[in-house]
Formats: sequence, structure tokens, C-alpha cells
Amino acid sequence: MRSLRRTGRVAFLAETYYHSLAFLLPPPELAEEVAMHRAVLAREFGAETIALRMTELAYSDDIARFAEAERFQGMLAEGWEGVLRRQSPTFPYSAAPARTVILLLRHYPLSDDIGFRFSSKNWSEYPLTAEKYARWLSETPGETLGLFMDFETFGEHHPAESGILDFLSRLPEEVRRYPRLAWATVDEAIGTPPAGPLSVPEIMSWADEARDLGAWLGNDLQKSAFEAAKKVGVLARQSADPRILEDWRKLLTSDHFYYMFVSGHGADLGVHRYFSSYDNPYDAYANYMNAMTDLRRRALDRLGVPILK
Amino acid sequence: MVGWEWPPHHTGGLGVHCFELSRELTRLGHRITFLTPFSGPFTPVEGVTFRFPSERRPEPSSAAPSEEEPSPASPSPVEPGVPLEYPGAYDEQPEVGPPESSAFSSPSRPRRPVTFQSSTETYNGWIAAREDLGAVDVIHVHDWFGTEGAKALAERLGRPLVMTVHSTEYDRSVGHPWEPILEREELGIRAATRVIAVSRHLRAQLIERYDADPAKVRVIYNAVRPTERLEEIDPTKRVVLYVGRLAAMKGVDTFVRAAARIAEHVPDALFVVAGEGPEFPRLVELAARLGVGDRVMFLGKVSDEEREILLAGASVFVLPSVVEPFGIAALEAMAAGVPTVVSKTSGVAEISSSTFRVDFWDVEEFASRIAEILEYPTLRAAMGAQGRWEALREGWPERARETVAVYAEARDARRDRP
Repeated sequence: MRSLRRTGRVAFLAETYYHSLAFLLPPPELAEEVAMHRAVLAREFGAETIALRMTELAYSDDIARFAEAERFQGMLAEGWEGVLRRQSPTFPYSAAPARTVILLLRHYPLSDDIGFRFSSKNWSEYPLTAEKYARWLSETPGETLGLFMDFETFGEHHPAESGILDFLSRLPEEVRRYPRLAWATVDEAIGTPPAGPLSVPEIMSWADEARDLGAWLGNDLQKSAFEAAKKVGVLARQSADPRILEDWRKLLTSDHFYYMFVSGHGADLGVHRYFSSYDNPYDAYANYMNAMTDLRRRALDRLGVPILK
Repeated sequence: MVGWEWPPHHTGGLGVHCFELSRELTRLGHRITFLTPFSGPFTPVEGVTFRFPSERRPEPSSAAPSEEEPSPASPSPVEPGVPLEYPGAYDEQPEVGPPESSAFSSPSRPRRPVTFQSSTETYNGWIAAREDLGAVDVIHVHDWFGTEGAKALAERLGRPLVMTVHSTEYDRSVGHPWEPILEREELGIRAATRVIAVSRHLRAQLIERYDADPAKVRVIYNAVRPTERLEEIDPTKRVVLYVGRLAAMKGVDTFVRAAARIAEHVPDALFVVAGEGPEFPRLVELAARLGVGDRVMFLGKVSDEEREILLAGASVFVLPSVVEPFGIAALEAMAAGVPTVVSKTSGVAEISSSTFRVDFWDVEEFASRIAEILEYPTLRAAMGAQGRWEALREGWPERARETVAVYAEARDARRDRP
């Protein structure tokens, strides 16, 4: 990462340090977690962060207001037609309630061609070559095209044997064949003048058809666990014990809630097991609640509150 | 169908299985002659005829419409053998203790070996001699009791033999199999054109321990019939339930030990054990010794109706079996919307993603998992709803269709044989 940083061709994005759902918690949790993350990037990589990307690409007008208050110049969001309506995802927009924040939108079909479909042999476009992909990029109208995907896409979701790394190393020269295409980091792209304001009143993520937080906070288990976390958070802050606060923040990581995902009756839980270390969502919930109960007791002990049996 | 028990009298899952399967098979247009060593009574199912030793031949006028040929011999032959009386000897579990007990060196097992030996031989001889079955397409034998007779019958009629294994002698005896039973199991598994196991776990066991040819062993799970869900009895009450036989293989001592651990922390939890069996005295003693004699209730054997009421009032159902080829009791609990904690080796764990699975020996883990369900109402509701859906998404109609597919396979396999 440090050598990447030295190339000067890489931008680092600010996030929540705990990959958390802190944007749903009362202030100053979100600001503190983002500040922690920025501090680590500055310390480890000497990176200054001017753009923000929220956990699971969550975005809303409220989050944009936060970004503006924290002096971010840009944010990433999903280029979803549900909020774009007829507007194109391939232009930068300004956040409607915070015009100084420029939004770069994820082009999800082209991003998912690499992120999800690259090694899928059932895909009609399999195998995906750098040449073909560069052609698709050139045929897409617009000014900015956001290809945003997980870091693990390269070498984990798609292992090296899938050819993903070869694809990645060939792509720059294939793209160079097209005069209208040029690479840009997020920090560079947010300098492009916006096409207009974009308003996103409800939280939008990059997950599932609905692009909401259903995969993390959709069912009763998840809601119950998050409510428990909120309550314990008040005690954890009051305790002023850094260990307790840190343990509590670790329990805010969005993955904990994802493990509790139970799709509607009729859907296969197996699909989501890939990402889970638990046998089933009920295990995940019970374990989480046990940890939260224990943390609550520690916080109350610290505060000198007796526990009622 | 060469069976064993049939409702209304049944002590285990086998009787219910034969009944439900037969009922669905008749709905698919098949007709069944059910051979059993017992003289009944039999809950009637249209399309199912019962035969047992020493039965009276049905009068021609009262005979059910069937493809059965008339009796070949003019005077009805004297039936060999004597029908058994319920309750069945199937419940007769070996009186063995834990693996380190001296029972290991003793090959003798039931209290009535002579009765056992003679009754199985007579029954099998009676099966083999059946001349009154008419047109038979397949002979389907359940477990070991009638394998010899079924094999002989299949060979004589030139029809395929299908065997369903519900449990094995290794499991029932907790690792101390009785040779005569083992031999009959092996005989059936070897002779059958197709073998049906009630779980993947059991299938693996048949392949490893009985040298069954993997190519001929299929898995068909048990099912439960959808019933009206009884109204929940006071959801604030915390009741932990076990329903099943009190046999060594069921590991009910783990249930009692877990109860003692939970009682320390959850003072209002009540533990209910419904069922009877040879382990009963030891379990009562154990509960008393652990100081939970007043927290663990032993109800004895319960009726189907009583079981439904118990399930409606239960917060958690526990199946701590050391070995459990399937575990239909847990599936019934799921169907009633009760969260379940089962041992990892239970076959039922293979078809559910909404159950807590624990190593059968891990008392602490059983206690934790049970306590979690008692403590977290959201968890209880979510597990209950998902479990109910999983238990009922497929039923006996699907199982019957799968069985018919195995019959067809067996028929084709036999035809292809040189």
C-alpha cells in the first residue's frame, strides 16, 4: 500500500475506522470513527483524504451534510436508477443539501461485470477479456464512469487462477487505445464540474435489489441487535473506559449484522454462508447478544451500578 | 411392504413412517399389502391390506378390491407362527450402560432371547411362504426384522427388494450390537437392489459400517404432517422440552445435566421429559443428585394430543441424542414453531438451518444454547418461524414421490442385470 501511495496514482478514501453503521448512531460517533480512520491513513501512508465512502456504500442527504461539515469534497454513492430516475450515472452530481460535496456514482453493471460475474462460467460474456471490457467502457456515454468494487475482488472473490490479475494488468493498455477514455482517481474525478444536484432522502446502499440496508438491518434479529448496541453505547460512553468503548465499537462492524441475515421464507440461507463464519444467523445473533450483554455488565460495573438478578 | 408397527400403536418413528408413506403411495395410485408380526388393531388406510401370521383369510365377499389372486390351495393352509401382541418388542432396548460397562463382554442382550429368536424366525418363514400377495411390483422392507423373509420372497417372485433403514443396531445399542440383529441388517442391505437411508449421516454409516454399495443407497428424509398450530400457552413461561424414548442412545442425561446448569442462572425455567424407557430410573436419580429434582418433570409416555399441547407450551425443544439417524421429534417441534437444539449427529440437522447444533457430549454448550433461546425472545420467535417453514415446506407427498422414484430405479436396475 505504501508503494502504491508513492506512485501518486492512488487516492485513499476516508471511511469509518470500524467499518460500522455509525451513520445511524447519534453524533459524535460517526465523526469520531471517520477521524480515527483519517488519522491512520495519514500516519501509515501520509495520505490526505478529501473524499468519503461510507460502509457498504451507504449514502443519503444526511450523510452528505455530515461530509460537508467535515470538509469533504466528494463522496461515493450507488448509481441506482431508483434515485437517478432518468439521469445518467456517468456524470458527477452535487449533493442537493450540501452542494460542495461532489458525488461520484458507481456504474453497477460495469462494476459488477468484474466484481460478480468475471469468473462465472454461466455468464454469456464469459470469459471477460480486457479488450472486450475496454470496448464496453468506450461505448458508454458520459463524463465519469465509477468502477467501484471490493478490494478482495482481485485475488480472493476471484482467485488468481480465474485470470483476474492478468485481466487487471492488461486493462490499462487496452483502455489507452480509446482516445476518449482516461483513468482518474476519485480525488481527481471530483474536480469535474457537476451535471446538477442529486437528492437522496433515504439511505441507499449497494446491496440487493432494493439498495437499502435490508441485508444488515432488515429482520427482527438485526434490528434487535442494533437496538441493544445503541443502548449499550450510551453506557459505554458514560463509562469513559477506552477498552469498553473500543470493544463496543468493534461490535458495530456491519458484518456482525450481515451474519444475522435471514432472507424471506423460501430463500436459501446457504447463499449468504459464504460470507459468514457462523453456522446460521441464529448462532450469529445469540453470540452477538451474549457479547453485548457482557459488555453492558462491564460498563455498569465501571459506573458502579449494581446488577439486579 | 414388510413392516413392523402400524398406528395406532407405535413406539418409534418407523410405524408413523410406514403409515404416512403408505397413505401417500395409495394417493399416487399404488396398492400396498402390509406384512406385520402384530395382529393389530390397524388404523385403516384405503388401498392398504394387512397380513399377519395366523390371520383369518378374508371372506371373498368382504375382500377389498385388489389385484390379489385367489388363494392357490383349496383348504386354507394352517398359518405357521403366532401374531405378537402390542406393545412391540422394538422398544426392548439393550440393557447396556455407558461404553466402559461390563456389558461390552457380554453378547447376550434381551431378556427374552428365546422368544426373540423363535418369533423372528417364524415371522420370516411366514413372509417367505406368502402365496397370497397377487401381483407385486416391489418388495419394500423396513429395518432388520423381516429382511430374511423379504429377501426370500423377492427371489421367489423375481421382484426387486428395497430396504429402508431407519436406524442401525450399532446406534440402538450405542456401539454394542447384538449379532443376530446385525446379521439381519447386513443381509437386507446386501440383498436389496436399492437401500433408503433417512439421512445423509445414516447413509454414510451404511457405506462405512455395512459395506453398502454407495451407488445403491439413497437418502429420503422423514417428514411431518402439517397440523393446526395450537395457541401458544403463556409465552412468558420458560419451558424446556424433551420428547422421546428414554434409551441410552438418546442422551437424555445431557438434558438433565444442562438443566442443572441453566437452573443456576434462570430460576424460573422448567424442564419437561416426556417418554419412557430403560434409562428412566437413572435419569430421575441424576436429577435428584444434581439438585434439580423439582425442576425436571418426568411425564412418562404421552399421547399424540398431549405431545401437541406440550409443544404449544414449550420455549425450546432439545434432542441431545448420542446417535439419531433422523429425529422426527425435533421435526415435529419445528413444525409447531418451537426452536430446537439438537446434537450435531442428528439427521434432522441436515434439513434445517434454523436449529442450534451441539456436540452430544457438550453439556455446557447445550446449556448455553438453551439459555440463549430462553433469554432472547427475538431469537426464539425468529428460530420458531423459520423452523416451522423448514419443517413444512416438504411433506410426505414429496417423500412418497421420492420413494416411487427409488422403486423405479430398483425395477430398472434389476431388469438391466444380466
